[in-house]
Amino acid sequence: MQRNIPLTIVLVIGIAMLIQFFVPHKISKDIYMNFLDWLGIIAAFALVLGLGSLINHHIDKIQRKREHWPFSWVTLIAIVTTAIIGLFGGMEGKGPLPVQPQFTLGNKLFVIKYSIQTIYDNIMTPLGATMFALLAFFMASAAYRAFRARTFEATLLLIAAFIVMIGVVPLGYYISPKLPYLAQWIMDVPNTASKRGILFGVGLGIAATSLKIMLGIERNWLGGK
Amino acid sequence: MKIWEYLLKIDRRVIFLLVGLSVLIPLIFPFSIKTNVMPPTRKLFDTIEEINPDAQGILIAADYDPQTMPELQPMFIALLRHSFARGMPVLVMSSYIQGPGLAKQGLDQVTEEFNCKTTTNADSIIYGRDYVFLGFPPLWLAAVLRMGSDISQAFPADYFKNRTASLEMMKKIKNYNDIGIVVSIAGSALPQSWVTYANTRFGVKIGSGATAVTAPDFYPFLNTGQMSGMIAGLKGASEYEYLVNTKYNLSGPTPATRGMSSQSIAHLAILILVVIGNIGYFATRRQ
Repeated sequence: MQRNIPLTIVLVIGIAMLIQFFVPHKISKDIYMNFLDWLGIIAAFALVLGLGSLINHHIDKIQRKREHWPFSWVTLIAIVTTAIIGLFGGMEGKGPLPVQPQFTLGNKLFVIKYSIQTIYDNIMTPLGATMFALLAFFMASAAYRAFRARTFEATLLLIAAFIVMIGVVPLGYYISPKLPYLAQWIMDVPNTASKRGILFGVGLGIAATSLKIMLGIERNWLGGK
Repeated sequence: MKIWEYLLKIDRRVIFLLVGLSVLIPLIFPFSIKTNVMPPTRKLFDTIEEINPDAQGILIAADYDPQTMPELQPMFIALLRHSFARGMPVLVMSSYIQGPGLAKQGLDQVTEEFNCKTTTNADSIIYGRDYVFLGFPPLWLAAVLRMGSDISQAFPADYFKNRTASLEMMKKIKNYNDIGIVVSIAGSALPQSWVTYANTRFGVKIGSGATAVTAPDFYPFLNTGQMSGMIAGLKGASEYEYLVNTKYNLSGPTPATRGMSSQSIAHLAILILVVIGNIGYFATRRQ
C-alpha cells in the first residue's frame, strides 16, 4: 500500500499531464491550472519540512559537539534574526519593530532600518561578491599550472582558449580587427556543435528517466522501496 | 638552467599579486578602448528596437545574485535604460530569492536618472504606470507557466504588496501575448529553462544576459533562433551600454565600459602566465 499508492498516482498523473499538453480544450486547461495550484501547496509543505530538517540537523550537531559545531550557532542565529526582521520589519523596514537607530557621519544622517533590504545590502551583497571575486585569483593560478600543451588535444584547447580569451576583450580588436570575429566563430561553430551533442544527450536522458519514474522502474524517490 | 625551473614554479602569491594589480591599476587609471559590438548583442538590441511600445512590453528577469552582480547588474541597468528610453511598459521579476534586492537597486538608480531630467508627469517614469516590479515567485515553474494565461494570477501581489491586477499598466499587460520579449539575466542555465517553458509553449521571444562562463551554453539556442539575442559577459554589457547611450544620447554611470580596461589587462596577464608556464615546461622537458 505504502508503495503502490504513490506509484499509481505518479503513473496516472504523469500520463494525464502528457496528454493534457496536446489538448487545447478549456477543461484540459482548467485541470492544468488546478495542478499548478497544487504544485504551490506541495512546495509550501516541502519548505516547512526543509526548514524543520535544517533546524533539527544543526541542533543535533550542537548537542553532540560534532566537527565545526560553533558554525551551526551562526546558522541558527541567522535564521531566527532574518525571520524576525522579515516578519516584523518587512522588505522596506515599515513594520512594528522598535525605534530605528540613527547616527551621523560627517554631515550625513544614517538610519538603520530593520528590513530585509538592510540585511541584503550590507551582508549578502558584500559577502557574495567577495566570494566570487576570489575565483579570478584561483583561476589564474590554476590556468598557469594546468594549461600545458602536453598533447595534440591540449594544444588545440590552448589555442582556442587563447583566441577566445583575447578575442572577447576589446584589446583583441587592437591586435587584429579580425580576432573578435574568429573568437565569435569558435563560439558559433565548434562550441555550438559540442554543446548541441551534450544537450541531445541530456534531453534523451531526462525523457528516459521520466519514463522510468512514471512506469515505476526507477524508485529511488520512494526511498529505494 | 634554474630560470626554466623558476618559470615552472612561480609562487602562487606572486600570481595573486599580479592578477590583483592587473585588475586594480586599470580600475584606478582607466584608459578608453573602442567598443566593437558583436552580433549576439546587436541582435538583442535590434529585437527590442522592433517591439512596438504601444502594443507590447518587456519582461526583464533579474535571475542572478550578488556573486555575479558585477558582471550582470550593468546589463540589467542598460536594459532598463533602453526600455524606458523607448517608452515601453517594463515588468521586472526575479527567479531567485536573492535577485529582488539587486533588481530594486537597479530600478531605483535608473528611475532616478530619468526622473531627475523630466519636468512633467507625463515624461516621468512612474511605478504602476510605466513599470511594475513583480518580485520573486516562490515556485518559479508554476509562475512561468501561469504567466502564459494571466500574469496577475501568477503574481497576485507585486513586490510592494499592491494587488497586481489593480495597477494601471497591468490592465494592458495580461500575458505573454502582451510581452515583446523576456530577457533573463542569469549566471546559471535559467535562460535555457525560459526557452523550454515560455518560448516553446507560449512562443514568447527570449533574450539572455549571461556571464562569460555560462554564455557558451546558449549559443545552440541563438543559432536556432529560440533565443533572440544575448549579452555575453562584461564585454557584452559594455557593448549594450554603448548601443543604448549612442542611440538615445543618455548619460549615467557605465560600469561595464569602465571595467573593460581592467578586464583586458587581467586577461592579458593570465595569458602571459600561461605562456610563461609553457615555456618553462618545454625548456625543462628538452633537458
